Amino acid sequence: MSRRTHSMKAGFAEIAPILIGIAPFGLVAGAAVIQAGFGIAEAVGMSLFVNAGASQIVATTLFGQGAPLWLALATALVVNARMFIYSTSIAPVLAEAPAWLRPILGHMLVDQNYVSTMTKGRFREDVDIIPYYMGAWFGLAGVWQLSTIAGAVLGPFIPASWGLDFAVPLVFLAMLAPSLKDSTAVSVALVTGVASAVFVPLLPMQTGLIVAIVCGMAYGAWLDRPKAGDAR
Amino acid sequence: MNPTERFWLMIFVLALGTWLMRALPIMLHGHVAHPPWLERLLKHVPVAALTALVVPGAVYLHQGDSYAFAPARLAASVAALVVALRTRNIFATLVVGMAALWLAQWAVGPI
Repeated sequence: MSRRTHSMKAGFAEIAPILIGIAPFGLVAGAAVIQAGFGIAEAVGMSLFVNAGASQIVATTLFGQGAPLWLALATALVVNARMFIYSTSIAPVLAEAPAWLRPILGHMLVDQNYVSTMTKGRFREDVDIIPYYMGAWFGLAGVWQLSTIAGAVLGPFIPASWGLDFAVPLVFLAMLAPSLKDSTAVSVALVTGVASAVFVPLLPMQTGLIVAIVCGMAYGAWLDRPKAGDAR
Repeated sequence: MNPTERFWLMIFVLALGTWLMRALPIMLHGHVAHPPWLERLLKHVPVAALTALVVPGAVYLHQGDSYAFAPARLAASVAALVVALRTRNIFATLVVGMAALWLAQWAVGPI
């Protein structure tokens, strides 16, 4: 086995245990597309081209609720703005990639292979990090695509009384929890949470969502403001 | 434009915008210095965005334009939060949250 194949398999193996956590998320994303009134082609296309679960569900749900296109796009893009932070921090790790490969590596950047590459893969002596990162993505994208299709096919048969729409905030909650690791993050979450509970029902067409996110970001930036005496 | 075309338009614009955000820093690495102020500004986006996506769905039952306070959902969300903080596992959080919702709906009636 070449070192490249070994690295790719290692990336896949490292991501394998969390693939079961991806499946329900994909089911929800696929079912949401059908619920909004579209078909399997749209569900597959979205998972392939957008390749970012939270934003897919947000955009689809807002679109289905009749929100204007710009608002669905703006909210979904804000949700994905964290990818910019990931990309900035992973760039030095992937620096050996040739120019032609970098746009593809960029598309492959999702929460799980970012975490896996940054916390495990880059410290391993036995793997090359670029095929490792790609191997992890192939596992994630495969499960993501299959579970999206399953959600699109099975979604219409699931009765509304099961409250399966509740799975959407639950998935976001599970993604949020690991980020609440210091008091600043908890404060930002509290301010954003109160703001969204107040503004989302109050403001038209889900604009309360953006207002709440901006409130939280502004509060966080204020907490992090350069203080007198800081070395800068 | 019909709704399907509008949906595809949304897919492509979202795909392009997302790709730019996740690919540009990797592509430009070594060519430009990334400004620290931008990183500081974006630092709180993940927590703020995810919280704003959780709370309305965890507190209200949303139908059309109406938002009704839903105690069963709030209770189930609190249970799920405890599990999420302890296990950091998406699957466990989903299972406990859904089970808690069904239990709470059975206890206080469907809301």
